[in-house]
Amino acid sequence: MDMKRDYYEDVQLFKSNVVLFWSAALLLVLFTIPLYTPNYYIYLFNIIMVHIILAVGLNILVGSTGQISLGHAGFFAIGAYGTVLMMTTFQLPFVLAILIAAFIAAFFGFILGLPALRLEGPYLAIVSLGFGLTIMHIIGGMDVFGGRMGVKVPPLDLGIKQLGISWILTTDFQKYYLILITTIIMVVGARNILKTRVGRSFVAIRDSDIAAEVIGVNLTIYKTLAFAVSAFYAGIAGGLFGFVLGFFDPFTFNMILSIIFLVMVVVGGLGTIAGGIMGAALITYLQYDLLKNIAEVPYFGALMVAVSKQWFTVVGLENFSSMAIGLIMIGIIIFEPLGMFGVWIRMKKYWMTWPF
Amino acid sequence: MFQKRMVVLWIAVWAVLCLAPAAQAAMPAGFDDNEIRIGQWGPQTGPAAPWGSVARGSKLLFDIVNEEGGIHGRKIKYFIRDDMYNPAQTVAVVKELVERQGVFAFVGGVGSATGMAVRDYLAAKKIAWIGPAAADKDFAFPLNPYLFASYPLYKDEGSILAKYIVEKLKMKKIGILYQNDAYGKDGLEGVKERLATYKMDLVAEIPVEPTEKDMASQVLRLKTAGAETVILYVMPTAAVITMKTAANVGFKPHWVASNTLSDYPLMFKITGGLWEGVITGALAETPDSKSPLMIKYREAAKRLAPEERWGVFYYAGIVFADPIVEALKKVGRNLSTEALLKALNSTKDHQTLGPKVNWTEKQHQGTDSVMIHKCGPNASYIMLQDWTTNDMATWKK
Repeated sequence: MDMKRDYYEDVQLFKSNVVLFWSAALLLVLFTIPLYTPNYYIYLFNIIMVHIILAVGLNILVGSTGQISLGHAGFFAIGAYGTVLMMTTFQLPFVLAILIAAFIAAFFGFILGLPALRLEGPYLAIVSLGFGLTIMHIIGGMDVFGGRMGVKVPPLDLGIKQLGISWILTTDFQKYYLILITTIIMVVGARNILKTRVGRSFVAIRDSDIAAEVIGVNLTIYKTLAFAVSAFYAGIAGGLFGFVLGFFDPFTFNMILSIIFLVMVVVGGLGTIAGGIMGAALITYLQYDLLKNIAEVPYFGALMVAVSKQWFTVVGLENFSSMAIGLIMIGIIIFEPLGMFGVWIRMKKYWMTWPF
Repeated sequence: MFQKRMVVLWIAVWAVLCLAPAAQAAMPAGFDDNEIRIGQWGPQTGPAAPWGSVARGSKLLFDIVNEEGGIHGRKIKYFIRDDMYNPAQTVAVVKELVERQGVFAFVGGVGSATGMAVRDYLAAKKIAWIGPAAADKDFAFPLNPYLFASYPLYKDEGSILAKYIVEKLKMKKIGILYQNDAYGKDGLEGVKERLATYKMDLVAEIPVEPTEKDMASQVLRLKTAGAETVILYVMPTAAVITMKTAANVGFKPHWVASNTLSDYPLMFKITGGLWEGVITGALAETPDSKSPLMIKYREAAKRLAPEERWGVFYYAGIVFADPIVEALKKVGRNLSTEALLKALNSTKDHQTLGPKVNWTEKQHQGTDSVMIHKCGPNASYIMLQDWTTNDMATWKK
């Protein structure tokens, strides 16, 4: 049922009319969400989509190329600070600013990719971890970045100031559409990357870098490229994230954030686009919404409060959030190594072969 | 087969699209006939978790108010949200409380960056925010009609501490170790301004990065400068490392510190007893104070929150939250945000366990006073100086 007869069938964006229809329906729902959703959820959706961009980018690196990064909060920070700095100091229009910031992030990604040529596994993890922490402290130590007191984000103006065109997005609704369109472009872009020569080279490196080299994949180029692409995604996500928040400081981009990003990718499913999307959506929703309000969930909330009172310290219930995310991650690794994407594949198979 | 499924889906999608707008709710009101909803964010987990007790201290106050029958027939429903000291999460929890739960006002809220992330949003939504648990000049200046600050500014505290050091301790050689951000620099500014009136200068002013873990060079510079007194405007960890390093090299100045380091039992424990003798600014009365209000709250805490430690930051939560209770009582049964703001703007010499708070329509920085305490044996509190205002506070003019 999933048999491909030629190359073009493999690279098609929509494999069948069914997929096309579903995609159109999904887009329709996404574009109309602000019509019937309270403002608070729009903010949550914005954060989720920003995380989706980042997770999809991180998945290219971690899932498809098989390199690890514990420093993606650093690229995220470069994107956020870079965009704001380009807009305030250099008076660049938003679109140009975020692109430049993302390319700066990509450049740093390339730099971080160089040690990756020699390092593997835990050693690479340590290098990237160091990178993330260093970026946070460098930014915090420089007054041009607002130091440790953070920066206030300028109005999100899509126009070009120099030409007198101004189109300022103020509400979460307006930002929602900007982020949604960006997310779609980035996700489709990621899919295209993975379906081309570049993407296949990434996968070859993941499966065996020696074998990849033997069949003619230039490791130097493709490993650093994977880092650069992934950092570019993080940069774009960071630039948008700054405007979702309106204000941020260096410690917003701490080490825990890098780890949460990795959790998203692992929980969602390594090496697939859909995995990144599902993981980012689930973890962000849990972290920002469900686990914050666990005490107000009917029945279960009361149970948790009682358990917390009985067994935990005064902040036991709040700590439950971290515990839950940890447990989910452990559970996924043990029972469903493909992540949520694996569950999805099985559901799809069941549905397609039903009733057999 | 596929066709059929598609039709069903198509109908489902359109049904959702058509029906859903009806479900869209306007922003819920912050109160009804039976309850007033008040929220607070604060780090319950993460790096700043020890300050999370502020939010829980406010809970004690509201529990007491509810026990006494509420305010004009309305109980207070209080929400604490953990933001892990992360501005992104602060925005999320505040939006959630405002737009889903319907919160009438916010109290407290630990952190400068976290507060700055939501300051403009709250003002835009016309939601009052009383007593941020951080001293940031940007909270009260320029005046924000919805924000009422009651935390003494670090600059005022620095000035008061410097005066005490010069006049009472008779020290001539004063050094300062300050964190290289607004917190430390404000304290430094206050100290220098005060010393200038005595025609004195600091013998050493040494910045510390918030994350620095090795203080050897800083301590040596203070020692070579011959500082008799060292003022600390740093985070607890930096203070601990500094004192331990100083003890190792035999450097024993008088230590004076900001009120952020006034949790003596905690500091005493993590410095292994070195904290004894340290003089700090203080936001509130000593925990063992015999004032009637202190006794009332202390007894209530034993009953309502036996698992909590009766620490300085816990009952600071009461100090920050009390003005809103007072104002709500003043407003009466006809509640509205305007009425609340009016009542808050007429707050005059309001005092619980903290300094006297005054707010007018033109001035929302409520106080410039601190106490001065000293850490005695076994982390006990000794009061050295009662509430002192800063006669040099420039913002009052």
